[in-house]
Amino acid sequence: MQLRVPLLYFLLCLVLAGLIHIAAVLTLPALAPKNAWARLIPLGPPNTMILLPPPSPGQEVMPMMAPDVRYAFCRFDLKLGPVRLKASVPNDLWLIALYSPEGDNFYTVAGADMKRGQIDLVIAKADQPVAEAGVDAPEESDEVVVVKSPVGEGIAMIRAPLSGPSHAVRAEQALKSTSCGPYSK
Amino acid sequence: MRTLLHLIAVFAVALLLGIGSAWYMIERGSPLTTRRPGPWASWMSEGNPNADPYTKAHLAQSGRLPLTSTTARYFLARTDSEGEQLTSACEYLIEGSALNARWWSLAVYDEHGSVIENPSGRFSFNSDEAIRRSDGTYRISLANNARPENWLPSGTGPERKLVLMLRIYGPRETDSTGIGQIPDDRLPKIERKACN
Repeated sequence: MQLRVPLLYFLLCLVLAGLIHIAAVLTLPALAPKNAWARLIPLGPPNTMILLPPPSPGQEVMPMMAPDVRYAFCRFDLKLGPVRLKASVPNDLWLIALYSPEGDNFYTVAGADMKRGQIDLVIAKADQPVAEAGVDAPEESDEVVVVKSPVGEGIAMIRAPLSGPSHAVRAEQALKSTSCGPYSK
Repeated sequence: MRTLLHLIAVFAVALLLGIGSAWYMIERGSPLTTRRPGPWASWMSEGNPNADPYTKAHLAQSGRLPLTSTTARYFLARTDSEGEQLTSACEYLIEGSALNARWWSLAVYDEHGSVIENPSGRFSFNSDEAIRRSDGTYRISLANNARPENWLPSGTGPERKLVLMLRIYGPRETDSTGIGQIPDDRLPKIERKACN
């Protein structure tokens, strides 16, 4: 009996450690106070395209942002209806990515895949019907992409990689001319 | 009384083991979630909606917003190719080969993921900027002071730990699930040179 008690403690310790390990892993995402979503909220209202300042020492919105990529994001909120994102994409390197607040990247489109460098994206929930955008302008119809969002709110992030520092101003101007707002039709 | 003390001790050890192992597997990864070619570590399911709980916890804790591995691959190095911690007290030669991708960029950060102040305002080299040889290979010097070819400044002032991040957008080789494949021998080698 004297020999078995330490073994019992050892097993108890292992089982407890395992349970604590699992609980810690599963609860951490909900407890992490500084995830990307929490960092982006203070920068502005939803359904607006917002340019992120380029990373400078100690001033980054998110850690490890690419110094040679310019970012703009729109925190979409589908509560009042679908949201439309429009951009003229000046080069093949651009990436438009949609995320849930937890950072699940559920949709991505690259500049290289866009027709004539135009992107017209309507983000809608599964239960939000989107009227055929092509009814009034048939020639445009095949360029409107409707993305069914698994989440009611999330992040649309545009990345504009720079070929060199001299391209930054042009990329920022192009990002400023993108739009994000309620889709009405 | 002794039993109670024993139980408290058991609980304390379990807490330490449970939290410690969870922290390590979330922060640094494990064979379940990460691939480690040489000094580089890459989370396979980062940003993927179907990611495992470790990867999701890692993502939440990191504060980053990465693209999934079908669009981009991220490789992070905290050590040189010999496994020694990267530090601003040493100078490194980073030698890489051509990468089959639309665009790539190699950036240096401090241990908090912040870029490092330097007079030339240079925080990274990308596939368009780096001076490369005709065969696509390139050499980047990670050093405090200016170096010929590609100089990636590691800053002056007090010694700091460094982190290198190689991001590869639009890898052209993919596996059957669409995940971008970067052959291990294509990833840059990080060789330590002189130290202060």
